[in-house]
Amino acid sequence: MGTYQLFKKNEIFNGLYAMLLVNRLQMLYFFLIMPNILIHPYMIWVLIAVGILSQLNLLLLSKWLLTRLSSNGYNGFVQMFGKKCVRFLSFIGLFFILLKLSVITLGFSEIVQTFMLPSTDTNFLVFFILLFCFYVAGKGVEHTIRFVLISFFCTFWMITFFVFFFFPPIARLSDLYPLIPMEWKVENWKAFFLILSSYSGPEFLVFLGPWLKTNNKTFRYLSYGNALTVVEYVFLFIASLLYFGSNYLSKIQYPIINMARYFQNPVFERIDMIMLSFELFNLVFAVSLFLLLFYGASKIAFGKMSKPTSGKGLLSNVFLIFIGMVLMNELFWKSEEKQNFLLNLQIIAGSISYFLVPLVIVLVMKKRGVKKSAST
Amino acid sequence: MRLHKKICNRLILLFMTICLSGCAPFTENNLIEEISPITFLAISKGDKGKLKVSTILPPLSKENKNVMSQEVSLLKEGVQKYNLNFYQEMKYGQMRMLVISDELGKDGIMSIINVLLTDPEISPRIYLVIVKGNFDEYLKSQLDKDENFDYSFYRMLKHYEEKNQGELTVVNLHEFKHLLYTPYSDPFLPVFKLEEDGVNYEGTALFQDDKLVETISSLDDRIFQLINNDHYLDVLPIPKFEVVLGHVRSKIIVDIDSSYSTMTYTVNMDTRIEEYRGEKQLFDPKELENMKKDMETHLEKQTHELFKKMQELKVDPLQLGIQTKRPFSKPMEEKKWIEMFEKMNIKIKYNINIDPLTDANSKRPNL
Repeated sequence: MGTYQLFKKNEIFNGLYAMLLVNRLQMLYFFLIMPNILIHPYMIWVLIAVGILSQLNLLLLSKWLLTRLSSNGYNGFVQMFGKKCVRFLSFIGLFFILLKLSVITLGFSEIVQTFMLPSTDTNFLVFFILLFCFYVAGKGVEHTIRFVLISFFCTFWMITFFVFFFFPPIARLSDLYPLIPMEWKVENWKAFFLILSSYSGPEFLVFLGPWLKTNNKTFRYLSYGNALTVVEYVFLFIASLLYFGSNYLSKIQYPIINMARYFQNPVFERIDMIMLSFELFNLVFAVSLFLLLFYGASKIAFGKMSKPTSGKGLLSNVFLIFIGMVLMNELFWKSEEKQNFLLNLQIIAGSISYFLVPLVIVLVMKKRGVKKSAST
Repeated sequence: MRLHKKICNRLILLFMTICLSGCAPFTENNLIEEISPITFLAISKGDKGKLKVSTILPPLSKENKNVMSQEVSLLKEGVQKYNLNFYQEMKYGQMRMLVISDELGKDGIMSIINVLLTDPEISPRIYLVIVKGNFDEYLKSQLDKDENFDYSFYRMLKHYEEKNQGELTVVNLHEFKHLLYTPYSDPFLPVFKLEEDGVNYEGTALFQDDKLVETISSLDDRIFQLINNDHYLDVLPIPKFEVVLGHVRSKIIVDIDSSYSTMTYTVNMDTRIEEYRGEKQLFDPKELENMKKDMETHLEKQTHELFKKMQELKVDPLQLGIQTKRPFSKPMEEKKWIEMFEKMNIKIKYNINIDPLTDANSKRPNL
C-alpha cells in the first residue's frame, strides 16, 4: 500500500449522509436481540421515550458540529481540551471502540454461524469480516462514509417484509396487552439501558466533523435519522410481540431472525439467509468506520500524530484488533454466561458514551466560551 | 503498479466471496448426490419408552424407495443411525411434515417440539399431523402403489392451509408452539386415520399443554372449523334435517360478564342451502324460518356440548381466556382462568342468515 492519506479531506458530505450515518450506526446488532430482553408490551413506550432522550443528545451533538473547532478535527479537540487531555481521552476511547467493535462483530459472526454456517468456527468468520472491513477502511474516511449509502440501501428494505406480521392471522391486538406497566422489575432497568445503548452510535459523529457539511439544518437531518431508528425499533418490537407473544419472547435468543425464517417464497426457501447476508453490509460499514477511528485514536494516544497515515499502520491495527477479538471470542463469547458479561459491559459502555460524550463536549464548550462558527 | 494493485484487490475480493459463499473447505458438504433431504419424519412409540422414527429413503433420486425405521431413545440419535445405515447423509432442510402417532401424543410431545424449534435448518412452517394406526405398515403397503405418497400428502395439507380453505385443521410448527407457550391457550392438531383405502381425515385432536386428551370428529369438528380455525366451511351437512349448507362464513362475538361467571358466545352465520331432501316447503318463508330456528337450536345444542367437553377437559383451544385481557390491567394467571373457565356458564347463540334454495323443488305448489 502506498503512502496515501487515510484521513485526507477532499469533499464534504451533506445532511443526507449525516442522517444515514446516525440511522445505520444505531441499527447495528442490538436490534436483533432487543425483543428478547424487552419482552413486555409496555416497553414500546420506553423505546419511544428513550428515542426522545436520544433526540436531546443529538441536539447537543449538533451544537458541537456547528462550531468551527469541530471541522478542525484533531486540532479542534486540542484547542478545547489541551494536548495531554486529548491523548488521555483517546486512550480511554480505544477501549470503548474495541468493546463495541468486538460485541457487534462477535455477535454477528455467532448469528451467521448459527443460521448459515453451523460447522464453521466463528474465528474464521471474524477474520473474513475484518478482511472486508480492512479493504473498505483502507480506502479512507471519505469512501467509508460514502459506503453508508450502499449499506443503507442493502438493509433498509428488509423492514418492509415485517409488515406481514401486522396482519391476521398472526396479528392480534390482545398480544399487546397490558399497555402500561403493572410492576417495574429489576430486569426492566437492564432493558432500559439496552435501549439507551442501542441508540448509541451517533456520538462517533463528533469525530467526523471535518467531513460533514454543517448548517442550520444539521440538527434536522440528525433528528430524521434518529426518528427513523425509533420507528424501526418500535415496528420490529411490535412485530415480534405479535409473532411470538410476550411469554415466548424471553425464551428465544434471536427473535428477529427467527421471524425472518417464517417468510416463505416459492423461489428462495431460506430468505433469512439472504437477509442476513445483506445485513453484513451494514456491519462492514460500521466496523470499517470504527477501524478508522481506532487507528486515528491510537495514533493520538501514542503521540504519533506527526507521522503520515499508512496502510501498514492500519493493517497492524486491524491485526491487533483481530487478535483481541479472537481472545475475547475464546475467553468470553463462546460461553453463554461470560458472553452475558460482555454484553452487559457493552450495554453500560454504550449508554455511558452516548450520554456523556455530547454532554461533556457541550459543557466544555460553554466553559471555554466557544461560539458557533460564523458560517451559519 | 496501480493496475497491479487493482488486480490484487479484485483477487482478494474474489477469494473472499468464494470462501463465504459456501465453497469454503470448513463448511458442511451439501453435495446433492451425497445427501438425502428427507421430506417427513414419522414418530411413534417404540419399546421401553423408546421412539420409533421412520421415513422414506432415498427421498429424491429415482431409485427404489424404502421405508426405514429406527428405534432410538433420542430423536436426533435417529439421524445418526440413518447415516450409519445408508450411503447418503440425511438432511433436515427440506422437511415438510412431522407425523406423530396418537399414542405418543397422549404421552406429551413437548420434547419433540423443542428439538424441532432449536434446529435452524427445520422450517417453522412444517406441518404437524397426528395419525391413528401403524404408519410404517401403511407406508410400506403404499410405496408400490404411489411412490410420491409423501409429496401428495404434503400438497393436500398445503392446499387447505392457504387462504383458510375451511375443510380440515392444518397446523404448522409455529402455530402449535404459539398455542403451546401462550397463556390461555391450548394447541390442537389434525388427526388422520389409516384405513385400507387411504389416509382419512378424522378430526381435530385437542391438547392439554402438550398432551393429547381428546379427538373431536364429524359435526363437532365442523363446528370447530367454523368457530375457531377458518371461520369458513365449504359444506356443512346436517343429516338431522336432511340439509346441506354451503359456503358458510361465520363471525364470532364473545362477551364475558364482569364477574367472569357467564359467557355469551354468539355465532353469526351467513350461508345458503345447497341441498335439501326433506319434506318441508322451503319456498314458504314461514317454513324456512321454522327450519332456520330448528337448525339454530340444533347447532346451539351441539356447540354447547362441545364447550362442555372442553370445560371438563380443562382445555381452551379457542383461546377464550384472551378475552379477559385488558389494555390497562394486570392479566390474570392462567390457572385462575382455567378454574373460572371450568365453572363458567356458557350461553351459545346462533344467528343464521340463510339464502333459500333458488331452483325449483319438485313439490313446489301453485305452479
